Amino acid sequence: MEKFVRRICIVFFLLVTTYAWAQDRTVEGTVVGSDGTPLPGANVIVKGTTRGVQTDADGKFVLQVAASDVLLFSYIGYKSIEVPVGSQSTITATLEDDEGKLEEIVVTALGISKEKKSLGYTVQEVKSNQLSEARENNLVNALSGKVAGVRVTNSQGNLGSSRIVIRGETSIAGNNQPLFVVDGLPVDNSQLTKSDASRDFPNAISDINTEDIESISVLKGPNAAALYGSRAANGVIIINTKKGRAGKRGLGIAVTSGVTFERLLVLPDYQNVYGQGAGGEFSYVDGKGGGVNDGVDESWGPKMDGRLIPQFYSNGEAVPFLPHPDNVKDFFVTGHTINNGVAISGAKEGFDYRFSYNNSRQKGVVPNTDQTKNSFSVNASYTLHPKVTLSTSANFIRTESDNLPGTFGKRSTSTMLQFTWFGRQVDINRLKDYKDADGNTFNWNNSYYSNPYWVAYENTVGQRRDRFFGNVNLNYKIVEGLTANFRTGNDLYNDRRKIRIAYGTNGTPFGSYQEIGYAVNENNTQFTLNYKKDITPDFNVDVLGGANYQYRFQEENNQFAPRLAVKGVYTLNNSRDPLQSTNFYSRQKIYSLFASGQVGFRNYAFLNLTARNDWSSTLPSNNNSYFYPSVNASVVLSEALGFASNTVSFVKVRAGWSKVGKDADPYQLINTYPFSVPFGSSPRLTVSDKYLNADLKPETTTSTEAGVEASFLDDRINVDASYYFTRSKDQILNVDVSPSTGYTSKLINAGEIENRGVELQLTGVPVITPAGFRWEVSVNWAKNVSKVVELDKEGFLQSYRLGSDGVEVRAGVGEPYGVLFGSGFLRNAQGQIVVSADGTPAIDPSNKVLGRFTPNWIGGINNAVSYKGVSLSFLVDVRMGGQIYSGTRSTGLQTGVLAETLNGRDAEHGGLPYYFAGDDTGTTPVALADHNASAPNGEIVYHDGILFNGVTADGSPNTTIAPAPLYYKTLAVNGEYNTFDATFVKLREVKLGYTIPSSLTQRVGLQSATVSLVGRNLWIIHKDAPHIDPETALSTSNAQGLEDLQLPTTRSYGFNITLNF
Amino acid sequence: MNTRYIKKLVSLVVVAALAVACGDDLTDTNVNPNEALHPQPDYLLTNAIKASVDTYWGVDNNMNSTLLFVQHLAKIQYTDPDRYRYTNTSFESTWKGFYSVGLADLAEITTLAEESGNDNYKGVALILRSWLFASLTDLYGAVPYRYAIQITDQLAPAYDGQDVVYGGILDDLKTAVELLDPEGDAIAGDILYNGNIANWIKFGNALRLRYALRIADQAEDKAREVITDLQGEPIISSNDELARLVYASSPNQNPIALNFETRNDYRVSRTMVETLRTLSDPRLPVFASPTEATTPEVYIGVPNGLTNDAASDLGLTKTSKPGSYFLRSDAPGVVLSYSEVLFNLAEAVEREFMTGDAEALYEQAITASLQQFGVTNTTVIDDYLDQPAVQYNAANYRESIGTQKWIALFGQGPEAFSEWRRLDYPQLTPAVNGVLAGKIPVRFIYPGSEQSLNGKSYRDAVNVQGTDALTTRLWFDKQ
Repeated sequence: MEKFVRRICIVFFLLVTTYAWAQDRTVEGTVVGSDGTPLPGANVIVKGTTRGVQTDADGKFVLQVAASDVLLFSYIGYKSIEVPVGSQSTITATLEDDEGKLEEIVVTALGISKEKKSLGYTVQEVKSNQLSEARENNLVNALSGKVAGVRVTNSQGNLGSSRIVIRGETSIAGNNQPLFVVDGLPVDNSQLTKSDASRDFPNAISDINTEDIESISVLKGPNAAALYGSRAANGVIIINTKKGRAGKRGLGIAVTSGVTFERLLVLPDYQNVYGQGAGGEFSYVDGKGGGVNDGVDESWGPKMDGRLIPQFYSNGEAVPFLPHPDNVKDFFVTGHTINNGVAISGAKEGFDYRFSYNNSRQKGVVPNTDQTKNSFSVNASYTLHPKVTLSTSANFIRTESDNLPGTFGKRSTSTMLQFTWFGRQVDINRLKDYKDADGNTFNWNNSYYSNPYWVAYENTVGQRRDRFFGNVNLNYKIVEGLTANFRTGNDLYNDRRKIRIAYGTNGTPFGSYQEIGYAVNENNTQFTLNYKKDITPDFNVDVLGGANYQYRFQEENNQFAPRLAVKGVYTLNNSRDPLQSTNFYSRQKIYSLFASGQVGFRNYAFLNLTARNDWSSTLPSNNNSYFYPSVNASVVLSEALGFASNTVSFVKVRAGWSKVGKDADPYQLINTYPFSVPFGSSPRLTVSDKYLNADLKPETTTSTEAGVEASFLDDRINVDASYYFTRSKDQILNVDVSPSTGYTSKLINAGEIENRGVELQLTGVPVITPAGFRWEVSVNWAKNVSKVVELDKEGFLQSYRLGSDGVEVRAGVGEPYGVLFGSGFLRNAQGQIVVSADGTPAIDPSNKVLGRFTPNWIGGINNAVSYKGVSLSFLVDVRMGGQIYSGTRSTGLQTGVLAETLNGRDAEHGGLPYYFAGDDTGTTPVALADHNASAPNGEIVYHDGILFNGVTADGSPNTTIAPAPLYYKTLAVNGEYNTFDATFVKLREVKLGYTIPSSLTQRVGLQSATVSLVGRNLWIIHKDAPHIDPETALSTSNAQGLEDLQLPTTRSYGFNITLNF
Repeated sequence: MNTRYIKKLVSLVVVAALAVACGDDLTDTNVNPNEALHPQPDYLLTNAIKASVDTYWGVDNNMNSTLLFVQHLAKIQYTDPDRYRYTNTSFESTWKGFYSVGLADLAEITTLAEESGNDNYKGVALILRSWLFASLTDLYGAVPYRYAIQITDQLAPAYDGQDVVYGGILDDLKTAVELLDPEGDAIAGDILYNGNIANWIKFGNALRLRYALRIADQAEDKAREVITDLQGEPIISSNDELARLVYASSPNQNPIALNFETRNDYRVSRTMVETLRTLSDPRLPVFASPTEATTPEVYIGVPNGLTNDAASDLGLTKTSKPGSYFLRSDAPGVVLSYSEVLFNLAEAVEREFMTGDAEALYEQAITASLQQFGVTNTTVIDDYLDQPAVQYNAANYRESIGTQKWIALFGQGPEAFSEWRRLDYPQLTPAVNGVLAGKIPVRFIYPGSEQSLNGKSYRDAVNVQGTDALTTRLWFDKQ
């Protein structure tokens, strides 16, 4: 308060003294940002003079002016504007975020801020308000559609993992996701997963609270990242957290609060005519074969026309057999996320700090699923001595879930598996009270499944991740221009999972209990020396040298009680059998030396060089040192050639080349002998399946990039275009070998893959009016083309399997990365589909390429309109091309639950009449002329014949009728038939915000208040794949393009309030 | 001194110091703490036996293929395999399990035994290795043999024809038996015979007898030579000496038991049930369980090769699962039984490879089988043997031995499949809705991965052996 008074005095003093200069009058006003927040400390200068003031804590100023004066308003990070005083006595100056090119500062490798124009590579920034308003539970999702060349895939549901890839996959078998760096030091983004749990565990970076993020810089490709070493070959996502802002004195309190609701975005289209059973017959006795087809979990049963049939809830009584069209949908609930946070920041001489706490509670769309996140963060900086600054950042995050939704195709835990085999007549409401007084459950089918509510409420998988990451940073300005910096940071977490299968679960009669614990720790300690000097008025240099020590430790502890002794008690002691335990420890060290240098000429031409040498523990001692350099340059042509004008305000060209070396995973050199569960008292050791390689050498990725940035029409239009070419070779691949060698795989060091692509970013301001209306359009677009050049030197290997589920995902020589390879129609030379003897389309005995998971191009268009305090923006995200294999479609054809399986099922749906001679169903069906005709010997007449439009082996048209179930079941196993174009156009994000005028907020003691309505993934505007959201994946691994009974994706909508005190 | 030199010197020292200081440290960091650096022969032996019997007795190799082919079992759900519909991944686990686990571990034991001079380990490893290679060739035909399990030299091992494989096996088994010495160095980790070397010798000789007869239709001289050589040698001579792995409780339960813990796909074949019923065979209640729902027949088999719908119509509760003898978690996984030895001796006599009383041996074989399955009452046994349909018919020994061996081998699919193919009895009716044009498979198809991982060797083998189809007859299986 005292300070405030003093400040008022100063302003008053200034006011008085400037008055003494006999200016003709006073003007007062406020400087605010585009979001309406007052900007304290902004400069207000009378143009052409040195006269001016800084705004106070409320962004207000008072200045003596003459009517002819022009006021120049400026503030770091914002575009300066000029306002002629004229007759105005109060001026509100609204400064736009500076997204222009000229003075833009971006954070680059090692947390070094550089003028963007000096960089010879692409960096794209995302600001905090683009992340926090329409919050995503998983930070990675928030980047989708906002950054050119960044491909994000949300795996499934709304509590799972997401994968991010920049500029395509550069590693055949390794991790292709970028390195995440928070405040200058790497943090982990692993998806630690075990298939046993049948859960899509969130990737580690989703722990980070978006409210704490100041900005995200995306460094694309290795050009930008040579200084981060190995893991940066796939690009780097640099996250800068909010700090107590120097200059923003006094106490600032920000409170955010929001609620978001989540609903399913898409579900399969089901048929609602035929119910459970086979051959049109069904009757329930025990749900496992005791009745007529009641062990059958398919919907080829009787017509759901109200006929009377005993069902699972009727105790043997025949009750109406009726469709329940929403029986899957009704299982899901509306999820919600309640988010509350508070941040306190402050600064005084030599000390600034920010503390934040955020709590987010989420309920999933699957009943009994949730996730709670509590995050604490402290950032502080202290000037120990005029030359020495100590700063530190510490974050503690607890992510906790009692139960994550069941995924994948495991009977005891999956959600969508059961629903894709669900009898269409099943009334889900009758399953809701899922157990009787004795704790026993019941279900519509007891051969394979347990009641879906039982699965959701009893077979739970809990997770708790306690994470600490932070760093200490000591900065010493030795002499003018020479700075030493020491930084050490840790990312440490414990992640525990508890996997329960209840007593009485189908297939696991005694239940089971498993605990999996992970401990991950990574330390990076770094020392750098930085020297900056203007050597001559024309030349300046900026050189940096340093050393880094990286230590990574990972531990896994897994204990499993395969059968519980006592019902309902989940501890490892409660086991009938000996516990099954496994451990895994791994350690990895890398020592590095690095240097970088920049030479600038007249502030418009820049040359950057970097070099790094790593010594990694994971490579053999004679190969463990590897060196990698980079060079890039940029020239601001508009300044160099002096042609900058209002029409063409800025043109910069850039080019760069870089190389990145990459080590192996730990323990890939010498074969050791794994243990197996002892047989009785006899321990077991075995020869490993994988033949390791004592001669590994580092993988290398080289990348060449060129680009141009330009601004036109007074910066109203900004363009940034890049072209890049990346080649990765000596890839460490664990390739399959014939088991007859004694091993199933062998580690080789040979693969090579190329990626080339183009990225475009375009921002334009079509309309801006003096009254404050502004419409901004930003577009980003990227196309990446990959090619697998080689897998092994001998040419022995033609493809490498990345994963499979229904079809194989592979990297094949000469093919793009991530080809889907599987079964397809048999076609003759004329391209006609050949039909088997049974009248169904034949499967080609050779598998074929069915598509690839990588899209042709990706892009996003964001429109933002603002007027006074109101802003509206909407982001459309497009992924064009690429394919996805749908296991839901395949299974749904098999089970007859999908709408398209009605075609041909009866006369009404176009089925053809036929009979089997002598009622021998092993013979070929004989067609009948019409549905009323009877068979010659009184055989049963069927009406579900389908005559497939194909040809027989000799080329003549097919005349053999196939019964509908046979026809659809044949198509179910046809990979080609179930592979779809993965194109989608989505309305990714809509935000409507309103900043309450400060005149109102200040009355209640608020600096500012913003309310916003937000929606994410509201609408799939266009897609080709039926039944599913084509943007889905089994996990964050390289086996993308596979959909197999994943949870449906969700849409969310809600509102947020942000208050600044 | 010039500052440039100082700088250079400093950076050199830093780099050198880092490199030197890190060298050993880095190497030590990369020592795998999770696995054993040095193998132990006893632990490897336990694993080799356990893993191999698991594969031999397990789903893909036994229940879902050979036991269906020979109509011991039939499928009541997911009937594709019972209709001989397989993909080229169906038989991958047998190939993988035998080669990359069993044979790989045995190769390591052999190396260790040679280093330590323990011939008993070496002999035991050689016997097991011979059994695994024989199992592979019995099922697939030509297989990598001479060039297998040598990854450093042979990344794409050539296949050898059955004549080469069986020849090599018979020679190896002789060597193995000679290496074994009950007075020699002890072995441990032996979960088959608990270190009893004398029993290993008997098992080795029993395998020699088995494989001599396996090739007897094609290489009669070799068969005769081996069997002549076996005269007077110790051989399995009681049900206490069976080569079998007695399973335990979870997680070491019998693979068939493990399957039935969570699945309900298999039933006893109608062919087996009706054969046993016709013969009033006391093994029927051992091989089959009473139907869950009460039925007049008590034991009801399922016809092989029904469509899913037709099988499902029979009802899960109205058909017989295998008997509890096979469903117990501690049920044995049998590799070679005493009754098989006796059947083989009977056949060897009949073929005049040795002298003896074929009929007596045949009856002893049946008796041994009955006793193995718990039928010990001598009256019951005698009554059974006295039936005309059971009595030995020297004129068609293939039918007598073939039929009774087929019964005695219940549950041991791979051996039953080989002997059914070789003896051509009993005559089985192919699956009702089979997809092989009225034929029953006579081999496994190679795993599809061989086409991509070992393509040339695969194609060379197929060129010699014939199409890679389920119906391609193998060399030993002479028409």
